[in-house]
Amino acid sequence: MVNEYVRPASLEEALELMEDDGSVASAGGTFLLTGYEVGRGRDMDCMIDVLQLLPSGVTRSGNELSIGSGTTFQALIDSKDAPACLKAAALSMANRNTRNRATVGGNLGANKACASLPPILLALGAKVEFKARASAPLTLDLDKWLAAPEGLVLRVIVPMAPGTLAAAGRASRTACDLATATVGVSYRLENGVIRGLRVALGGFSPHARLFPDLAALFEGTALPPKADIERVAKPLLTAISDHRGSADYKKQRGAVILADAMHAAEALS
Amino acid sequence: MKTTFTLNEKPVSWNSEPGQTLLDALRAHGIVSVRNGCDGEGSCGLCAVLMDGKQVNSCQILLPQVEGRNIYTVDYFGKNRSLSIVQRALIDAACVQCGYCTPAVVLALHELLARSPDPSEPEVKDALSGTLCRCTGYEQFFNAARIASKRLRDPSYSEAASEQFRPDLRHVGKDRDKVDAVALARGERAFVEDRVAADACHLFVLGSPHAHAYIKSVDISKAEAMPGVVKVLCKDNCPDLVYTTAGQGFPEPSPHDQRMFPRKARFVGDRVAAVLAETPEQAKAALSAITVEYDVLEPVLSIAQAKAKGAPIVHHGDVSYVVGDPPEGSSVKGDGRDDPILYQFPLHADPHRNLAASVSDGIGDMDKGFAEADVVIERTYVGNRVQCTPMEPHVVYARMDGGRLILHASTQVPWHVRRIVSRAIGVSENKVRVVKERVGGGFGAKQDIVVEDLAGYLAWTTGRDVFYRYNREEEFAASRTRHGMEITVKLGAKKDGTLTAVLMQLDADTGPYGQHCLTVPMNAISKSLPLVLCDNARFEVRSWYTNLSPAGAYQGYGAPKGSFALQTALAELAAELGMDQLDLIEKNRVRSGSRIEILRSLGEGRPGQPVTLGECGLGEMIRRGRVNLEWDKPKPKASADGWKVGRGGVIIQQGSGLPGLDAANAELRLLSDGTLLMLSGGADLGTGLDTVTAKAAAEILGLDMEDVSVVSGDTDTTPFDKGAYASSGTYFSGNAAVKAALDLKAKCISVAAGILGEPESDLAIVPRGIIRGKRGEITLAKLAHLSIQGEGHHELVGFGNFKTEHAAFPYGAHFAQVEVNERSGEVRITRYHAYQDCGTPINPALAMGQIYGGVMKAVGHSLYEELLFDNKGRPLNTNFLDYKIPSVFEVPDDFHVELVPVADEEGPFGGKSVSEISLNGSAPAIAIAIHDAVGVWMREWPFTPERILKAMGKL
Ligand SMILES: Cc1cc2nc3c(=O)[nH]c(=O)nc-3n(C[C@H](O)[C@H](O)[C@H](O)COP(=O)(O)OP(=O)(O)OC[C@H]3O[C@@H](n4cnc5c(N)ncnc54)[C@H](O)[C@@H]3O)c2cc1C
Ligand code: FES
Ligand code: FES
Repeated sequence: MVNEYVRPASLEEALELMEDDGSVASAGGTFLLTGYEVGRGRDMDCMIDVLQLLPSGVTRSGNELSIGSGTTFQALIDSKDAPACLKAAALSMANRNTRNRATVGGNLGANKACASLPPILLALGAKVEFKARASAPLTLDLDKWLAAPEGLVLRVIVPMAPGTLAAAGRASRTACDLATATVGVSYRLENGVIRGLRVALGGFSPHARLFPDLAALFEGTALPPKADIERVAKPLLTAISDHRGSADYKKQRGAVILADAMHAAEALS
Repeated sequence: MKTTFTLNEKPVSWNSEPGQTLLDALRAHGIVSVRNGCDGEGSCGLCAVLMDGKQVNSCQILLPQVEGRNIYTVDYFGKNRSLSIVQRALIDAACVQCGYCTPAVVLALHELLARSPDPSEPEVKDALSGTLCRCTGYEQFFNAARIASKRLRDPSYSEAASEQFRPDLRHVGKDRDKVDAVALARGERAFVEDRVAADACHLFVLGSPHAHAYIKSVDISKAEAMPGVVKVLCKDNCPDLVYTTAGQGFPEPSPHDQRMFPRKARFVGDRVAAVLAETPEQAKAALSAITVEYDVLEPVLSIAQAKAKGAPIVHHGDVSYVVGDPPEGSSVKGDGRDDPILYQFPLHADPHRNLAASVSDGIGDMDKGFAEADVVIERTYVGNRVQCTPMEPHVVYARMDGGRLILHASTQVPWHVRRIVSRAIGVSENKVRVVKERVGGGFGAKQDIVVEDLAGYLAWTTGRDVFYRYNREEEFAASRTRHGMEITVKLGAKKDGTLTAVLMQLDADTGPYGQHCLTVPMNAISKSLPLVLCDNARFEVRSWYTNLSPAGAYQGYGAPKGSFALQTALAELAAELGMDQLDLIEKNRVRSGSRIEILRSLGEGRPGQPVTLGECGLGEMIRRGRVNLEWDKPKPKASADGWKVGRGGVIIQQGSGLPGLDAANAELRLLSDGTLLMLSGGADLGTGLDTVTAKAAAEILGLDMEDVSVVSGDTDTTPFDKGAYASSGTYFSGNAAVKAALDLKAKCISVAAGILGEPESDLAIVPRGIIRGKRGEITLAKLAHLSIQGEGHHELVGFGNFKTEHAAFPYGAHFAQVEVNERSGEVRITRYHAYQDCGTPINPALAMGQIYGGVMKAVGHSLYEELLFDNKGRPLNTNFLDYKIPSVFEVPDDFHVELVPVADEEGPFGGKSVSEISLNGSAPAIAIAIHDAVGVWMREWPFTPERILKAMGKL
């Protein structure tokens, strides 16, 4: 139940309020308020509405893309500057009503195992600019921030190095289902071999993360056939069985979407 | 706190608690067009509003968050009782079925057209991506979007929503507005929850956490003393009798085995206690103050466990019979602690062995049949439990008025509700009135009395208004699912494919109570076996009690599972024989003039009779599918690497009501201005039944559709009807309306003959409402006026009663073309063609909508849906995030419905049933197509990617 609703005047005030027990910052609210009608939403005594304080919009300057954390998924898809792989990841949240509200910052803040954006952002080497209480905004690699979230994300900064091939993927039962696995890959093809491969997966750890061990297997090789990628990737994944599928099946799906993403990225070259 | 914003272009300033959602605030302020389909999970979209021009879910926004924002609801688009371009297009494209989702669809398409006036199909899909509709199958939404888009540029644009039939008739066979569509598209008050008084009390139920447990004690004393609490009920202070919740004709073929609050909980969620309080919060607080002591028992969680020797006994009360004796050898003496079971007549049951009912019969000589076969195959098919998931969950509003109990119900069976509730609460039927409101989807689940008994009892005993609405979790766990079934099919055939013997052995899981325990599994046989002609055929049906959630009726009523088993087995036989599967069907199917001997054993509640079929359209339907899917050409290439293409085709059938058992009535009144009031007992669940009855009246009395109003499903004001089940709506209720109209017509002509001084034989009714003779004429208005005067004859009223011995079978042929991903096990339906004979299509586009909707439900059951339980019997996926019903994205790329009418001699204007049959084809057609693609037979639905990969040996 939300007993108090506050719209702070500044980020600093928001961060101060967030320190109170039971106070939670809300952007789009699509994660926090899920099931709220029947008392299932996140327990929060006080909702601190930060949406209007967060930067919003997508801008590109040189080889860098800056995404305001208050940017909705739909705005990201509609932006002219966002790369196709990022738009595809955002579009994998198939429900437009939710995309009209859900924010990029909220997606990182929710930090769910199968979140849509983190794998591709991790694969692209994104950093986050965030603000903690009583401190100037700081910039940190996204993987580090996801491992220990702090403060409010203001911006996501995505390098857009020329020649980068990247793709995102997702496995789910139906289009509007929560994913059982998400993936992002990026690499360069230099003389027909893979260079700088970054592989990130969601669904195989408490939150999405980079899989450098997996990436290392293909670094410096020609793009292997999908079946080979699946064969070597599957044993490196760990999953839990639940009503969405057995661990074995989830690993299989994870390996398949990884292989698909690596090949989809190559198709961009 | 105060929130100021713009609502439908008017500034408003509303006070609320900080935590109130926009959805609740809007409803509290009388905007009832926003609806709750998923308890704020964000997945149904029925609560949608446009916020600053964008479609968002109002359940996930707190009212204070809309400060300064611009909010639109559908009410804006239908203001002053007008219709927007989108609302009109949705009606024209026959997209308004139950209408519960329609306001959300209106908003989605308005938002779409505002940013993309000429949208592509993917854009339409994207616009509707957040809205779940369980009725329509989404396909006709694409037509609506196209119509609305074209009308933006050319307001006079129109297109036919379907092929038109019966050129000899003015309304029948033509598309006309569904009579309730305008109000539903505007989001007007129509549903039970829209009728609730502000001071109504709220009812909440404490469900059992255990699947199987004696309830040793319930302490309600603390709860009773809590603020706002009006009444607390439990096993100790509720009526002490058992009844069935099955809304079937009396005496029901379902055991009376349910007490309002059982002494033993038989599933997780079974009623333990209930609190009626002035606010939901007070009721919930009181519920948590109730303490219960359970004696937990081992649960029965599968058919195998139910059958096992020494299995825990789900019902251990005394067993008795109103008529007839217990089956020999069955146990009747209970353990003294459990509730009794009362059978109205023997169903070959032995509840203390968990056997709720059984039946077996057949024709010919099975041993001989199998001995004559060149090939014999035996396969077992499993159909897991699936949920009806009406977008409006079970809901009732009970109140007292003039010493009588009024139940505003969302039901398929108003008269059965009245009968069962009045008995359950111990009052006579004259004290109870049931008013069927618009029903936000029923699909069978609302054939049962799931909430009305309790709410009715509390309103009757406290005198307070009682509002009781299941949340989505309760809807999944404690309403009604399709029975789980395991069906073994044994087929014997000659080398040329001629069947020599067919054996179907069916075990069903009826769950904790026996509603529909015999009839649903029987229907799996009686709507599948008669499709093939074989001299030696036998079935054995057994229905078992378990401690899983309650089973009941669901569109198709068992037939989808029987059809899956038999049609897939036939395809497996064809593969074994190296034959084309359609050729094997062709060799063995029923056809015009066939004598269907097996119906001798499939009497549906009375002794069966073989039937000689009249004309049968199956041959033509198979032919069309064969041509359109290019069956005899090589399969097309897959759309991408790693995917394989496969095709499957099946034949299906259903019935049209229960001949010899059920009846329907209608009354048609001529009003003083010559217009008509149709009082129909029929329960329109959004299927268009009221439009059928209105059409019958307009057609026969030579009037226009707007000259007829329909009141239906009100036990006080309309005559008895068996209810909407067993595919009886059009056939029974529609025919009653036809008879009422013919009766009124005859009376009008008789009176007019006297006034005009011409013989009746010279008079005819011509449009619009004129009785014309050879010499003179009189309008119905004048006739009505004269009839009700002091010197007039009497008010002119027609009465119609319909019952029949005639069985009208709708048939169909369904074809699926799929692509299966060999690596991930995913299935994509690229083409789905449904050819169906519903006799004369009374409302062609609405009939097609029933088929699209039925197919999409069955696609969901085949590929995605399954109610899962843990090893304690707790349901695991009781919400739309975890239990996946199809969204617009799952609609097949080429989704084609074609009506192939074969008029029925007794049907209204030749009509037969249409909707239930539509669910019978998908599972076998898809299973066969999967085999055709990747070579594995899927014998358990849903055919999840994981099951497919396992079958392929990849997991
Ligand atoms: C129907 C439905 C479908 C969904 N589908 C998907 C899907 O496909 N993929 C997916 O990834 N998610 C999905 N979600 C989950 C959710 O919508 C997303 O995670 C969304 O991005 C959350 O954003 P929000 O702005 O609504 O976050 P909120 O609910 O406002 O907040 C989420 C969390 O993030 C924190 N937070 C918010 N903003 C910031 C910030 N700037 N910095 C740091 N922390 C912050 C909050 O405190 C909270 O803990 C779905 C949700 C629903 C209801
Ligand atoms: S009630 Fe809001 S999305 Fe379902
Ligand atoms: S018409 Fe869409 S849910 Fe019924």
